[in-house]
Amino acid sequence: MKDLITQLAQAVAPSGSERQFQETLLSYVKDLADEVKIDRLGNGIARKHGDGPHIVLAAHADEQGVMVIDIDDHGFLRIIGIGEQTPSLLVGRSVRFTNDEIGVVGAEDDVKVQDLTLDHLYIDIGAATKEEAQKRVHIGLSGVVVEPVVSLTDHLLTGRALDNRVGCAIAIEAFREAAQKGLNVSVVFTAQNAVGARGAKTAAYQLEPDFAIVIDATPAGDTPEASRNDIQLGAGPAVKIMDSSTIVPIAVKDHLIESAERAGVQIQYEVWTKGRSDAGNIQLSVDGILVGGVSYPARYTGRTSTVVDLRDAKAALDLVLEAVRSFGQ
Amino acid sequence: MLLKTLTEAMGPSGFEDEIRNLIREEVSPHVAKMYTDVLGSLYCENTVQTGPRIMLDAHMDEVGLMIVHIEENGLLRFKPIGGIDPRVLVSKPVQIGTEKRFGVIGAKPIHLQSPDERTKPLGINQLYIDIGAKDKKDAEQVVKLGDVCVFATRYEELGDNCAKAKSFDDRVGCAILIETLKKQFQVPLVGAFTVQEEVGLRGATAAGYRVQPDIAIALEGTVCFDVVGAPSHGQSTVLGGGPALTVQDSQTIADRAFLEFMISVAEKHNIPYQLRRVKGGSNDFGAIHKTRDGVIGGGISVPVRYIHAPAQIISLEDYQNAILLTEAIVRAISEGGFTI
Amino acid sequence: MERENHKETLLHLLSGHGGPGFEEAVASKVRTAFSEYTSEIRTDTLGNVIATVHGFGGKSAPSIMLSAHMDEIALVVTKIEAGGFLRVAQSGGFDPRTLVGQEVVVHSRETLRGVIGSKPPHLTSPEERKKAAPLEDLYIDVAMAEERVRSLVRVGDRVTLHRETMELLNHRVSGKALDNRTSIAIILETLKYLQGLKHQADVIAVASVQEEVGMRGAATAAYGVNPDIAIAIDVTFADMPGQDPDESFKLGAGPAVSFGPNIHPKVFRGLRDTADKNGIPYQLELSQGPTGTDGAAFQIARRGLATGVIGIAIRYMHCSVETGSYDDIVSCGRLLAHYIASITTEDVEGLSCY
Repeated sequence: MKDLITQLAQAVAPSGSERQFQETLLSYVKDLADEVKIDRLGNGIARKHGDGPHIVLAAHADEQGVMVIDIDDHGFLRIIGIGEQTPSLLVGRSVRFTNDEIGVVGAEDDVKVQDLTLDHLYIDIGAATKEEAQKRVHIGLSGVVVEPVVSLTDHLLTGRALDNRVGCAIAIEAFREAAQKGLNVSVVFTAQNAVGARGAKTAAYQLEPDFAIVIDATPAGDTPEASRNDIQLGAGPAVKIMDSSTIVPIAVKDHLIESAERAGVQIQYEVWTKGRSDAGNIQLSVDGILVGGVSYPARYTGRTSTVVDLRDAKAALDLVLEAVRSFGQ
Repeated sequence: MLLKTLTEAMGPSGFEDEIRNLIREEVSPHVAKMYTDVLGSLYCENTVQTGPRIMLDAHMDEVGLMIVHIEENGLLRFKPIGGIDPRVLVSKPVQIGTEKRFGVIGAKPIHLQSPDERTKPLGINQLYIDIGAKDKKDAEQVVKLGDVCVFATRYEELGDNCAKAKSFDDRVGCAILIETLKKQFQVPLVGAFTVQEEVGLRGATAAGYRVQPDIAIALEGTVCFDVVGAPSHGQSTVLGGGPALTVQDSQTIADRAFLEFMISVAEKHNIPYQLRRVKGGSNDFGAIHKTRDGVIGGGISVPVRYIHAPAQIISLEDYQNAILLTEAIVRAISEGGFTI
Repeated sequence: MERENHKETLLHLLSGHGGPGFEEAVASKVRTAFSEYTSEIRTDTLGNVIATVHGFGGKSAPSIMLSAHMDEIALVVTKIEAGGFLRVAQSGGFDPRTLVGQEVVVHSRETLRGVIGSKPPHLTSPEERKKAAPLEDLYIDVAMAEERVRSLVRVGDRVTLHRETMELLNHRVSGKALDNRTSIAIILETLKYLQGLKHQADVIAVASVQEEVGMRGAATAAYGVNPDIAIAIDVTFADMPGQDPDESFKLGAGPAVSFGPNIHPKVFRGLRDTADKNGIPYQLELSQGPTGTDGAAFQIARRGLATGVIGIAIRYMHCSVETGSYDDIVSCGRLLAHYIASITTEDVEGLSCY
């Protein structure tokens, strides 16, 4: 799974620019799917018809980023955020755009760190004039902070976009196993999660599953002076109890806890009151869809680089598989 | 003069009756089918059945005020409908209710204010509308709680082919849509004049679900701040720079293929265009594209200086170019120029 | 005084515990109460209880949905600290200042009673007393050894207020969760009153879930039921010194009928005219955008629903001593029953005509 995660984390796919990456993601599942498609909002969907209730595995494919909004006479770019960005974290970092152009983020002088907004930042791509810059970038072009994936230990990985490429990897493997068993399962690599779970909304409407499992990161609270949060890296996947978008139905929560017991997976419980996931928009689609969440702990979610534990990812896969297998029995 | 008629009509969110009737009158000779929905949005359809179903959207509503309380001395308390900065309200006239009765929003004379007071903006709670009533009983003869008001601003042309009025957001979009509906297209076309955009894209949410378009375009008046002291990346749009296309706003990230298609149509027809360069704000497409299984499309906006304020300015050239671009895009789609 | 058919039911409902996403204990009480009027009761995926009472209109009968959310604001355990003290987060909107010294119920493997701790005045500095503690700094004390707490309580367990309901002067009732179980009592009073009236319309009574976290149950109930008219019944603010005059309603002066962009003008006029015609007292509530009720979700469900909002005023909303008048509940029930009885198929057709 480490190789798969590392490979997926290479892709540059800020919200709204997922299409190319979706081709890659779908290439891992299409041999087992009856139908694959990329829909209007950019969701990548693979469907396998089979026995039993229709279960959807959902993992967002996108990541937060920046978008070029202005090019000045000297070739410097101005940006807006894609998703919530902390401006101070971008200063001095390299940005890679979806067309592989690279630039460095600078900040206007004389602005205090606490007053810094994205309006004070610019990207230097080394262009001397507006015309020169316009040959390489355009307004509306998106990019992400460069941060390679590195192994900290045998189990710990750090890097950009591990949130949620780890989830994509889990969803790929879970879909493959479930499809091979002949189960009635779909996988959705959702688009535009970081800007408000927009893809999840339209994906849920078209699939109308009997049950959906959202696979995403949850912040770990095991770092120095972290805010009160019981989640620890390496202590197993977290069963979602609630986040700001959803309250998981008690029956689904119990199903996931029992599945974990059967699969011999040690679990934690996710109460992430500020977190937004795809689960809410899936749950509130049509006249309501049963939704649950399996989350892997990640340190520094929402920052440019996160830390995850591959053992949590592996255990999350085991839990998802058992939850899919035993749903409705 | 269409822009004059539309911008001087009343229609705060939820109270679109007057503007809806005007639009209905204007388009009825030109469209095959017209109906309203339960929220009050007005739909106009042609009879063409084959080809991608196109929805053009413009919202009828505007920001306004609602009378919420009458003081013993006859002054009226109010609250905003939609986003209004209270700082633009002081010393402005308004028109109240279907009778369009005049009222003025005054303030304590500067002579009586302490130096400290003068530097602080006045909040909605410190402002009152004066209709000339002697007392509460007098006011109650002509005003009911829940009556709504809009800015009393005349439409006038000024400067270099520019115009000033209230509610160019989004009566300019309504005007573009009306002009487009007067033309004939060989593609299924639904014009949706929606309600309640200013209070959360509510009319468009129901409209997108109902119409189920293949392609939707919101026609809007949008933020323009190309004024003294504003850096290029703080302007959003430039007056006279042509209709603006959205790349990202608070509700939408543009579909790249459709954006490039719109740009190619503009370039082919030599219609000037610009890209809207700000993340804040949104338009009805933000709601429409998330309905059902998702909708492809975008937004075409006319730059409006001082949007949501009593006196807004547009370039009539931008307006004319937006009409040309909208027509050219619909024609290009009807000729198979864009495949979903 | 008018007849109080369901005051006992209300007191019974108020004794139940059910926050957003764990309404089942309250839902079962609601089902029992609804079953007095119909056997056609279902529960949807999110947990909304949906009961249908047919009119005489047959297949083409107008359908009117009356909805009242049954969830109450709650807390959720986020961490078990050394010593067995529990940290919590919001599941709904508490003012943390009202929580200090409050008795609570922790819904864990066993139902536990607890107290939200407060530092005695002897130990607090004058400086500290000037500050209100944020929710993160509050804790629940269940008076148990840490080991036993850990064996019983899990992160994610819910917490609700403990409060016995009290009857005050002038048919006023005080306790927790009057927001919004009083509105379920209104539905019951409506159904009771409707038994004495002829009505063409089918009534779909909904006890909705998860209103306190953003009208979530309302969204799926509206999509599933898809009625011609959807009326949200929810509480509003009774007068208190310092409140804006347009956000202050009188206790005992009848229900507040809402008007504004969220409300279909014909539904508003229908409710207002019904009240005038039948001599039922009411008050006018104005809003300038989506209301903070299930009605906000109803209006934009599917192709849009004709929406009304009505409810009684209560004092001290989101505290454990919410206070309202049963007289208002009875008035509101009568008003809704007469309104429903007045609705015909033609009225429904007119809702899309502007």
